[in-house]
Amino acid sequence: MKLSLLYGTETGTAEMLCEDLQEKLEETHEVETANLEDVTPGDLALDRFHIFVCSTYGDGELPSSAIAFVDTLKAEKTDLSALRYAVFGLGDTTYDITYNNGSVVLMTALNEAGAQVLGERGLHDASGLDEPLDLALPWAEARIAEAGALVD
Amino acid sequence: MSATVAIVGSGPSGCYLAQALRKLLPEAELTVIDRLPVPYGLVRYGVAPDHQGTKAVTRQFARLFERDGVEFIGNVHVGSDVSLAELEEMFDAVVLATGLSADRPLAAFEGVGGVYGSGDVTRAWNGHPDDAKAGFAFGEAVVVVGNGNVAMDVVRLLAKDAGEFEGSDITGDMLGGTVRQIHLLGRSGAEAAKFDATMVRELGKIEGLAIDMAQPLPEGEAKVLADLHALNGKAGDGKRLTFHFNTAPVGPVMKDGRLAGVTCRRDGDEVTLACDSVVTAIGFDARDVAWRDALLARAIDVGQGRLTERLYATGWFRRGPTGTIADNRGDAKLVAAAIAGHLQPGGRPGRLALQQKIGHQTTSYRDWQRIDEWERNSAPPNRVRAKMTSKAEMLALCAEGLSE
Repeated sequence: MKLSLLYGTETGTAEMLCEDLQEKLEETHEVETANLEDVTPGDLALDRFHIFVCSTYGDGELPSSAIAFVDTLKAEKTDLSALRYAVFGLGDTTYDITYNNGSVVLMTALNEAGAQVLGERGLHDASGLDEPLDLALPWAEARIAEAGALVD
Repeated sequence: MSATVAIVGSGPSGCYLAQALRKLLPEAELTVIDRLPVPYGLVRYGVAPDHQGTKAVTRQFARLFERDGVEFIGNVHVGSDVSLAELEEMFDAVVLATGLSADRPLAAFEGVGGVYGSGDVTRAWNGHPDDAKAGFAFGEAVVVVGNGNVAMDVVRLLAKDAGEFEGSDITGDMLGGTVRQIHLLGRSGAEAAKFDATMVRELGKIEGLAIDMAQPLPEGEAKVLADLHALNGKAGDGKRLTFHFNTAPVGPVMKDGRLAGVTCRRDGDEVTLACDSVVTAIGFDARDVAWRDALLARAIDVGQGRLTERLYATGWFRRGPTGTIADNRGDAKLVAAAIAGHLQPGGRPGRLALQQKIGHQTTSYRDWQRIDEWERNSAPPNRVRAKMTSKAEMLALCAEGLSE
């Protein structure tokens, strides 16, 4: 399958996770990775399955590298109804009620643009003991299988 | 021959710089030097021990040493073990990433017993070899001066009971066990407080802590105000925290040669708060690196972090003591681009020459892994880690590893 990994990051963890995911997933798929900062909603190749990896910053806000993308998406009302995607969120349970809210903000904007989310949002807690990739890889493989089933 | 770069300091600014530089220069020999035997600087010793999620940024830094061919050399003090000039002879480029760790003092309180800097206190709670053994006597009443996130860290760690550090790596018995009353002083009004709303809400989760305000809180748009209003009047059967806004400390009140209180000015009135100790959390400065000013004044381009032809600076050392850990990532990209643009391999020998020059035991990343493993395995119940708090102990453990 053709996959696009897109990350929104503040401290670099989402970028690291995408690099790791790409390394694993490209054994069986065609994978490209980009920072949301370098992408506009109009750039998205709608025939590819998109996996967004997005952290949370400040008080449940988007990380800096995702802000312009979401602002543009809302302002230009890009039609993403042909886009199928999944979201993996990075957060920290220390921040309680805003835990992993950045990925919710991104998801809400994508859904409002008509994009179709597949499966559950993946979640990683920086205060937990799990390595991000250990959670994200099986999660991504399950989402890719779902996307594949839709195509068949 | 590939270029050689030394990065002085293995905290967030040094590690982010190594990360950014590695992306631009896959072949360069990159060496991160630290005066301590262990890496990660502020992340290990400055981030509050109950904020393990923030400390988890070391997951990124670890791969520099585990996968990306960046070398760590610890227990090397640039200045006394090797001079900066010598380092510049050994490496094609040298980057200063040592941060700014000295507490900015509160003038009228300098040298008064019972007055502590937030940096020293935080380092002690984090088991820093220089501060872990420092005795802090907080007594029953503590005045914390400052309205930023560091002040809030200090307040939270003092306010928690011993049972509320689950999952942290706080060191030893220096918790605020004796503390009954905490006063938090801020010069500005509540609406202008610099701490984050998330930090305010975290205080609300401390079970026994009662919270009140010395004056009525203003109404307003500021996000932090809503959270302060929500906290105000919180009941608790343990310690009490009182917020004092628009309140500036004037001087210490002494009784029988000991600190007994703080005189403050609030809306033109003088107020005295009784206390046994004061923690100042009013920022950091460069008082312990006086030579930094001259270096920056003569710099080719401070904006790019370029001090001289082959000497660079990044992070707080470059831009001063403001901004978060993540801000150093942007700094690193900027400075790494400047280095990559000017770097010329000059046949300078790099880390081999440094290792030959240092006559005493240094540490490698492998040594850190050994210490890390020991610390995790030695964690007391409900803690993720027990910090090894003496350099001698660290070096002894590493020497043991060498003879295996």
